[in-house]
Formats: sequence, structure tokens, C-alpha cells
Amino acid sequence: MEYVNPEGLRQDGRRPKELRQLGCELGVLAKAAGSATFEMGNTKVLAAVYGPHEASNRSAAASGATVHCDYAMAPFSTGERRKQGRTDRRSTEISAVIRNTLEQTIITELLPNSQIDIHVQVLQADGGTRCACINAALLALAEAGIPLRDMVAACAAGYLDETALLDLNYIEDSGGGPDISVALHPQFDRVVLLQMDNRLPLETFETVVELAIKGCKAVASYMRGQLLEHTRMLASARGFDKL
Amino acid sequence: MVAKPVRIAAPGDSVVDLPEKGEVRVGTGIHQEGNHLITCRPGLLCTTQSGKVWVAGRQKRYIPQVGDCVLGVITDKHSENYGVDINAPFVASLPVLGFEGATRRSRPNLQVGDLVYARVTAADRDVDPELVCTDASGKGAGFGALAGGQAFRCTTSFAAKLMSQPQPAILSALGKALQFELAVGLNGHVWVHSPKPTTTIIVTNTLPKGEFLSDAQAELVVKRIVSSMQ
Repeated sequence: MEYVNPEGLRQDGRRPKELRQLGCELGVLAKAAGSATFEMGNTKVLAAVYGPHEASNRSAAASGATVHCDYAMAPFSTGERRKQGRTDRRSTEISAVIRNTLEQTIITELLPNSQIDIHVQVLQADGGTRCACINAALLALAEAGIPLRDMVAACAAGYLDETALLDLNYIEDSGGGPDISVALHPQFDRVVLLQMDNRLPLETFETVVELAIKGCKAVASYMRGQLLEHTRMLASARGFDKL
Repeated sequence: MVAKPVRIAAPGDSVVDLPEKGEVRVGTGIHQEGNHLITCRPGLLCTTQSGKVWVAGRQKRYIPQVGDCVLGVITDKHSENYGVDINAPFVASLPVLGFEGATRRSRPNLQVGDLVYARVTAADRDVDPELVCTDASGKGAGFGALAGGQAFRCTTSFAAKLMSQPQPAILSALGKALQFELAVGLNGHVWVHSPKPTTTIIVTNTLPKGEFLSDAQAELVVKRIVSSMQ
């Protein structure tokens, strides 16, 4: 299979270093303390934040809030309808990855003895769901007003047909090449998540990670813009027009 | 003091570098990272002349602060205190003796589910919040159990707006047209009571809409509702 054609275009018409179309919406659920949807091309995820509330295990949360994360794929999210596996290995692993990334982002020591529940649901899966989930969860946390060290943005990159590709979709993801997920604190240039399946020579690894970091920065600036726009909308509705 | 919003901030924005000398008073939504002050949630960045800096965000969950007036629901009854749900991460405790004129002999008889209007006296990150139903001099001053009426929830920022002076347009317009009493808790709980149940229902339905209405719109909405009553 050819992933990059001779003209240098990918199967979905993107250039190798091009992100998919991004989209997001904040405050989609009335009951949750914070909620958001995030789209990267055809991948669409929904995140809801509940809390902070009293921790179920108070001794574990004595020095700072514990973060609980629940990742689930909707049965209708993939091409072939699937039974929902809440306990399968893949979703347990992705939950842990998202939780770990967000634990480093939330200022947990401000909220001891409490717990923050984050539920992410994949509505449409087209590759890069874990990155989309991290982005959606961050927006939901920000909407809930939970103290954050910085924004966090995640993006994946891969290496196929001897070309570094940004933001893989499902076809490219299942192409068998390496896939690197990176999450970044953009203000501090701090990498908080770096995950790779498959192997890569060291030189190419660096170029691919470089590309993923650039992708993260682009995603972060988009998310920041949307967050500011949302806040501006709320503020102007409350009578602060001149900002 | 009147706060002046400076700009809109997102988490991770650098606000000010700490000066060598002088005083900066840091409020909610600001976090110190080394020598910089950094915002940690989205909202309006506000400053005052006296060097106070904070971020005013729209938040549903309430984080208790000493001195706030809150509206809570009794959830537990113990011999020395009541447990009160104030929409915060933890259940607050309200001592039985924290009412005007209460002694060991004559104590208030509150039931689980009752509404109380109270003042936060302790709010520490490591200790559960504490409430009393008196002002600083031990007088009732409007605090205590609320009987009758109806309560609704809103965001903490809208509750703060309802408490602010001058009153928001929706509240003053409703106040001119109808007769009712209101207790606003900064935790995003609002209680409405009036002699006529219809008035209570109208106010509980109309007031939350006022969060995103301009002054002119709010007056129009109230006018329309009041005229449809007659």
C-alpha cells in the first residue's frame, strides 16, 4: 500500500506535515462540572469532568487530589460495530496514559483529600484517539475551573514510506509503521507524554518526535484560541464587552 | 473595591514577573511558578490599584472561602453538629451552638433536607469547612434555617453577580414588578420565597435566564412575563 504518493500527498489528500481539521465545543453537558468535545478530522471524542469531590480513598489523596480517568469507546465509533469492552487491556492502558498526563497538568496539591473524575468517550474513531482524548479532557478541566499548571496538547506522528507523517488517521495507523504520541506543556516546552509502538532508528526517531512536538504546539494554539473565545463569549454575555 | 478586568486569560499565561520590592496580593486562579505568576484557569484577569490580582472564572463547583455567605442543605444530624452540603468538595459542619441564642438546652431542631443560610468560618485545604448561622457579633442577622420557598442552582459567578452592587438588571426589574425575598449563597445556591406560590415559580424560572441577558433584554423579559400574568 502506498501511503504517500509521488506528488507527496497522503491518502486523505494531506501533506505529510499537515494536521487534520480541528474542531471543539465547550460546555456541552449541563450536569458535568466541565465538558467538551474535540475533533481531529473524523475522530471525535467527548470528555466530562465531575468534581473535585471527596476522595473514595482519602488516605491516598492526603497530599493531593487523585485523578480518576475512564476511557470508553462507543460501540458505534468504529467501522464494524463492537461490543463495549470496559475492561479490555487497550482501554485500561489508554485510561492510565490519559490519567498520567493530566495528573502532571492539574495542580493536585491545591486540592488534597479530593478526587476528580474524568470520563472520556470516543464517539468516532479514526486514529489518534488517545491524543484527541487528552485534548478534550484538558478543555473540560479548564471549563470546570480546575487549577492547571499549563495547557496540555497531544498529537501523534508516524513514519511510513520513509516520510515522517503528522497526525495519523486510522488507515495510516494500521499501516504497521511506528506511531509516536506526544503530549506537551506548550508554555514550558515540557514533554509530559512520549509513547511509541514499534521501533525506529535513532535519527528518524528524533525527526518524528520533533514533528509531533510541532504538531502539539499547533494544536495547543488552536485550543488556547478556542478557550479564550469561549471565555470572551461568556464575558461579553455578562456585560464585559470591551475585551 | 471595583475590579477592572484587564484581559482574558487561559491556563498557563504569564501574568506578571514578581517585582524585587513591593506587594502583590494573589487571589484565585493564580499560581506561582519560580519568579512568575501564572494563571491556572480560564477567565477574566482582574487587578486593583492596591496590587490584588485574580482570575474571575465561571465555575459550577464551589471552593469555600472564609466569610462567604452560603446556602446549604442539611445532610447529616449529629449530637454536636450538622453536616451541610454546600456544593463544595467536602461536607461542611455546622455546630449546633452556631445559632443565635443557642445553648446546650435550647438547640435548633433541624431535619435532614432543611435549607440553611450560613457563613463560612473555616476553610482550609486540609480541614473540612465550618459554618455558623450568626454574624461576627453573634446576632442572627438573617442567617439560619429557611422555611418554605424554593431553591435553585446556578454558577458561582452568577451568584456573585446577584450579590453585587448595583444590582443586575434582571433582579431589579423583578423586584420592581413582584414581591419576593431572596437568599443568594456564593456557592451557587439561590433561595426564593414569596407569599404567592406563582410569584416564587416565576422568579425561580426567570432569574437563571438573567445570566446571559443584557440590561435591556432582561427588562423586556420581565415586562413580558409580568404582563402575561395579568
